[in-house]
Amino acid sequence: MAANAIDQTRRMLSLVTYLRERPGAHVADVARAFGITEDELISDLDVLPMCGTSFRGGDLLDIDTDGERIWWRNPDASGESTAEPLRLAADEATALLVAARAVATLPGLRESDRDALLRATAKLEAAAGEAAGASSRLSVTFEAEGGVFADVDRAISERRRLWLRYYSPARDELTERTVDPIRLFTVGHTYLEGWCHLSEARRTFRLDRVAEIRLLDERAEPPAIEPRDLSEGLVQPAAEDPEVVVEVGPGGRWVAEYYPHDSAEELAEGGLRITLRSPDPASLRRLALRLGREGRIVAPVELADAARQAAREALAGYGEQV
Amino acid sequence: MAIAKAERLMNLALCLLGTRRPLSKRELRGSIEAYLEAGNDESFNRMFERDKDDLRELGLVIETVENLDGETGYLARRDSNRLPPVSLDAEEAAALGLAAKVWQQARLAGAASGALQKLRAGGMPEAGDPYEGQHSAIEPRIPVHEAAFEPLMLACRDRRPVVFDYRKSTAARPEARQVEPWALECWRGHWYLAGFDRDRGAERVFRLSRITGKVRSRAAKYTAEVPDVVTVRETVASWAGEGADRSALIRLRAGAGYPLRAKATAVRECGDGWDELEIPYGHGLDAWLVEFGPDVVVLEPAGLRADVVDRLRAVAKG
Repeated sequence: MAANAIDQTRRMLSLVTYLRERPGAHVADVARAFGITEDELISDLDVLPMCGTSFRGGDLLDIDTDGERIWWRNPDASGESTAEPLRLAADEATALLVAARAVATLPGLRESDRDALLRATAKLEAAAGEAAGASSRLSVTFEAEGGVFADVDRAISERRRLWLRYYSPARDELTERTVDPIRLFTVGHTYLEGWCHLSEARRTFRLDRVAEIRLLDERAEPPAIEPRDLSEGLVQPAAEDPEVVVEVGPGGRWVAEYYPHDSAEELAEGGLRITLRSPDPASLRRLALRLGREGRIVAPVELADAARQAAREALAGYGEQV
Repeated sequence: MAIAKAERLMNLALCLLGTRRPLSKRELRGSIEAYLEAGNDESFNRMFERDKDDLRELGLVIETVENLDGETGYLARRDSNRLPPVSLDAEEAAALGLAAKVWQQARLAGAASGALQKLRAGGMPEAGDPYEGQHSAIEPRIPVHEAAFEPLMLACRDRRPVVFDYRKSTAARPEARQVEPWALECWRGHWYLAGFDRDRGAERVFRLSRITGKVRSRAAKYTAEVPDVVTVRETVASWAGEGADRSALIRLRAGAGYPLRAKATAVRECGDGWDELEIPYGHGLDAWLVEFGPDVVVLEPAGLRADVVDRLRAVAKG
């Protein structure tokens, strides 16, 4: 794939400059320094001996590895072309600067980390020069509850158990839980992933739904489990979860943007028929109520009935009979 | 087997960086094996042009110089291609290491690692162990699920006008929009574009997930000024009803509706199993209150009360 060839070229150009200064470098160290696997590094080392300023003049890079250490036998063959690292490209400066600025604004981040980010950002802007300009075209804001963030952060580094009063929108209720924190991550909002003793399972808690938090003196001992893969999105319904079908008009199309779904079929006049799965369809009563005239639950029938019933009860509060 | 593209690009880069005088296409073709194998002139020319563009994307400044015989030569001068010295301490290096991991978008993730590798080649110190306890235990991630992101990012960078089909939140059908793109902003995990809408002659904000079909960018750059400050977030926040300017009075069942309580400016216990709350009233409050079903009764203002009743009737009839 083309994008991979570009990334690999970029990496190999930095790699030769790096190796030049470090004869006999260890494969493991170099891979770590470059943030790649040893296999990726070895595949770069397979390509490099085919590269040089001319395949005819015999000035190809004589870079060799025994799988443990790396030797470059003719670092002067390519002249000075590899002596210095290359300037940052616009996309490179943008990727790093936008990310660093976004992280630096996270409420609750430790001040020492924030300072380091801001110092690094300033140095990077200076080094990138013109290439830094394009970074003003992108910006990212992370949301976090600073106070809760700081407590979770401390609990993770001190390996302490947490007590939470946590709001569940699905049930509109607050529950008290003790949680052994595993990690803190931000994807738009900030979340705590931890082992929940109430549900005896791994749970993800959004920080702005934490009503109260306390650090306990007990030691956190979460079971050793693989961290969740965040690239697939936070909500990953299981195949065995019951199906829910919602039909919406144009004003309810946002449902397809906010709810991961199996299918969204276009209907006449800009409507959508959305099929999604939920481990607990009753929790979607909120959605049914919110949609009003913009949509309705087609299945399951129990959910549609529950929404109708809730609306009738609510109307009774206004003295209305339906 | 064809020679891998990365090998070809690497050879071209080394030739252009290593030379002190401009090299003609003919010379480059003679030095790089993949070009010799490229077949006819036309396919070589196409390959060469694409490779030059790719190297420029990587940040290489390639100069084009004409020699006395009118032949075009190419070189990448060292002084215009070298990274100026950057002295980063271990803390700053660790901070950038964290920042480089946040992108969940292939192009920017690759670019961020590439930047870090250049800095590493320039002597940036390595962070030691994950130094327990000294750093915030946060893993920030920037999600990019929208297909329109990459073409729009490039169009913003290169100031190219774009055309795309956009379906407004309540519109039945998408409509073609012509936009001079200014900036992209991610808020609460969703991406938005701010720019100048040519047909409407005014600034507009677009949500990327509502762009349908392909984003096409025009070759000719736009020349109009891009404002220094683009207020994407304020615009989106007002869509989301964050700009509350009034206040509403509601009855809420005791124990229910924690988020309403968290936003309330005043709470009074009624003693009959209900509480009275004053809450900020902005766009979208009616839809939110309806979610709480029979646990909420709106008292004031009358307009909000009527909107909520209207919504409830629609559901009750459903």
